[in-house]
Amino acid sequence: MKIRTIRLLVKEGTYNIYKNKLMTTASIITVSITLFFLGIVLLLAINLTSNIEVMKRDLDITVFLKVSASDFEREEVAAYIERKIQEGVVSQYRFESREQAFENIKNDIKNEALLKGLTSANMPESFYIKLTDPALSDQVITEISQFSGVNTEYGIGYNKDRLERLEGLLKAFNYIFIFLLAVLSVVAIFLISNTIRLTVYARRREIEIMKYVGALDSFIRLPFIVEGLLIGLIGAVISYFMTHYAYEWLQHMLNSILLNLGYTTLRMMEFAPVAFQVFVIYAIFGVVIGGIGSMVSVRKHLNV
Amino acid sequence: MIRFVDATKIYSNGVVGLKNVTVRIEKGEFVFVIGASGAGKSTFLKLIMHEESPTSGEVYVNGYSVHNMPRSEVPHLRRSLGVVFQDFRLLPNKTAFENVAFAMQMVEASPREIRRQVPLALGLVGLSKKAKAYPNQLSGGEQQRVALARALVNNPSVLIADEPTGNLDPKTSWEIMQLLEEINQRGTTVIVATHEKDIVDAMKKRVLILEHGELKSDEKKGIYINED
Repeated sequence: MKIRTIRLLVKEGTYNIYKNKLMTTASIITVSITLFFLGIVLLLAINLTSNIEVMKRDLDITVFLKVSASDFEREEVAAYIERKIQEGVVSQYRFESREQAFENIKNDIKNEALLKGLTSANMPESFYIKLTDPALSDQVITEISQFSGVNTEYGIGYNKDRLERLEGLLKAFNYIFIFLLAVLSVVAIFLISNTIRLTVYARRREIEIMKYVGALDSFIRLPFIVEGLLIGLIGAVISYFMTHYAYEWLQHMLNSILLNLGYTTLRMMEFAPVAFQVFVIYAIFGVVIGGIGSMVSVRKHLNV
Repeated sequence: MIRFVDATKIYSNGVVGLKNVTVRIEKGEFVFVIGASGAGKSTFLKLIMHEESPTSGEVYVNGYSVHNMPRSEVPHLRRSLGVVFQDFRLLPNKTAFENVAFAMQMVEASPREIRRQVPLALGLVGLSKKAKAYPNQLSGGEQQRVALARALVNNPSVLIADEPTGNLDPKTSWEIMQLLEEINQRGTTVIVATHEKDIVDAMKKRVLILEHGELKSDEKKGIYINED
């Protein structure tokens, strides 16, 4: 196909978009909403995943010693932890003495009656261990449980399970998201193919003449494909700006809420670093939806 | 050259369009195809243009086996044919010149060729002065001339006219028929489906008469035989 022919046919496709304003607008809006939904959910999922990572890193393994544990038994555990620091498994730890534990419990429980008869001698000593990699937690917990001074009666405190539940939830959420996305895409494709069908109808005379004078199938189809692709692309661009502003608004709002709740490490990421990727994903998705939409219609309504 | 060998067309709704038609049209002939509505005139033309395929039998047009033609060949077959219709089928938003040029653009002619050929085609049909007019500024006869110019501009070897004078007054009809004869004398095979008795009788051309899809008669210098 020659360049000037392509130019001629692309011009036709662009012109069709004007002529079919109402349906075109409806299609563009559907594409925009589909992509907007895709983008916001995707960005929130990325945020959740990265924040879960941060939370995991911040997680302490809490090891309580037996109340009866001797100084030797305590030193044994401390030596183990020191060794793990050397090995790069533990990033840092904190030791809490019986006295500190008693102070803490006095602060937590204001009721004097409950504290009656309790002294620091009744309190266990404990270690708070931070790992360099949360994945190593199982190994560390197993090893540390072996020490005779460690109280394993209530298990060793680690909130990993809760985070894993959260991750599971996130996965289930992903499936729902994919399903909704598929439904919205189908709606978008349907609307685009309907728009194209109207154009096919409006241009039936031209198509007929093109057939009689022996235009190639590809000539006849190209303007409609161009129309579909443009609808998808325009929808993508609009959606990109919608996503940009909506996300930044959401980001500022959620960040100030997190800060007010006292979370200093949890934050929504900035939009700018992912802006280009978001745009590319949108453009590809828009073009694919538009392309499929027009193909469906051309196949069904254009008997070349 | 066009050849039908025992060609039958039965539409999916059971209507018989054409039944066991065997006929041969030589290069450079002028042929009328006549018959009542539904007798098979349109089906006959549609089989030539590959708008429909025969249910059985064979159809050969300009060296193409139309009855078992791959899709990709169809445009090439159609480039060897020119077609005009009763309702002209011009694009209303294009001028006469642009309507004719459109046919050339669709076969990727160069702008230079278009500038050269379109005025020639318009000259041939006697419409040089109306090149810039839009279809709604032209009379019916003039519109059919533009359609003829469009059909001829790519130099087809066969011109097919489906009721070309059906929408025109008798005087204009005559002018169009004379034009078709001129085109035929320049070497183009011309096939005209019509029901205009006077014209057919006066022109003394080959006449194919179709009735209920069957070829009823084929006369060299035929006249319009009306049973009723």
